[in-house]
Amino acid sequence: MSPDDFDRLQSLMASRAGFRLTRDRMKLAEHRLGPLARREGYETVDALLASLWAKPVAGMAWAVIESLLNPETWFRRDRKTFDTFAGELLPALSAARGGAPVKVWSAGCSTGQEPWSLAMAAMDAGFPVEIVATDLSQRALEKARSGAYTGFEIQRGLAAGTMLNWFDQAEDSWIARPQLRAAVHFARANLLDAPADDHRFDVIFCRYVLADMDAARRAQALDNLERRLVDDGCLFLGADEGLEADSIAFRPVAGRKGLFVKTPAALRRAA
Amino acid sequence: MTPRTCLIVDDSRIIRKVARRIVEGLGFEVDEAADGSEALAFCAGVMPEVILLDWSMPVMDGMTFLRRLRTLPGGGGPKVLFCTIETRAERIAEALSAGADDYVMKPFDGEILTSKFAEVGAV
Repeated sequence: MSPDDFDRLQSLMASRAGFRLTRDRMKLAEHRLGPLARREGYETVDALLASLWAKPVAGMAWAVIESLLNPETWFRRDRKTFDTFAGELLPALSAARGGAPVKVWSAGCSTGQEPWSLAMAAMDAGFPVEIVATDLSQRALEKARSGAYTGFEIQRGLAAGTMLNWFDQAEDSWIARPQLRAAVHFARANLLDAPADDHRFDVIFCRYVLADMDAARRAQALDNLERRLVDDGCLFLGADEGLEADSIAFRPVAGRKGLFVKTPAALRRAA
Repeated sequence: MTPRTCLIVDDSRIIRKVARRIVEGLGFEVDEAADGSEALAFCAGVMPEVILLDWSMPVMDGMTFLRRLRTLPGGGGPKVLFCTIETRAERIAEALSAGADDYVMKPFDGEILTSKFAEVGAV
């Protein structure tokens, strides 16, 4: 991959996904694009990129973008977050909603471990939830929708008892049971796109997504998240993620790592 | 502060070595046993806080060890994590109902083992 190729990749990632492809990820980018090049019938990554620059096909550009996103996730990542969600937020929100399902958005769900973990936590605690899980990557979503995980994937973060309760074994994989699948709806969405309707959520999980974005796009994504969140709702970032100067719409909740609520300044859509 | 203790029970020296490195990384002091009978003798002397337990072993298998452990004085204390190549759902359920706290399917890595320790509240 030439420096020019990398520059172009950087601007492609930034403009379409807001993703900051830092220079130290050049080797990683080459490594990630290898399988895509083979799948698409190119001899080398360079040939794939040359073709993309010569004739920018939207499908191919998105396939390139997807392969460079960071898909890493696991079940119950930041365990405390799930305990706070099921043990504190759901009882309060469910009561405030008169027992109606609490609306949850897993924004940047990657291969699905987060929304499944949320659904299991909610149902084990006995609270009805409607979970919408979105990601930019079609490939990640396909895997998420399949609900199928290898032995290696399923036990990363998931206790064996929980696994047996919610997943069926099929040869080498573990597949989410229908009851679990019914709680999660998957769709593709770009966090840079402004909401096109007024659907809003009680709790939004957007963990380990914003940290990879460039500052301007991160602010844009946060603004979109804020517009999707009800005024008394909660936003979860990764346990170690902060907002710093990115947004004046949210403030951290003391003693709950990764949990944010709207600032008074953001409560402007009450009417 | 006294370090926390973990007993690794596996007839494979290589598995014991791999697991030891991970568990020591979590801040545990590690002892090893090559089968259930050795492990039982160890536990009769000192109860570890966590036991990482293989299923199929010569002399005494993991399931027999677990059942006997739970009848020993103080034998309900240790968190027991099965760690085995046996991956059938029925067998996992059997292990849990026999008193195992969690279950690790081989192959595993440091991240899996760390998350399992966290799930049983050992770290």
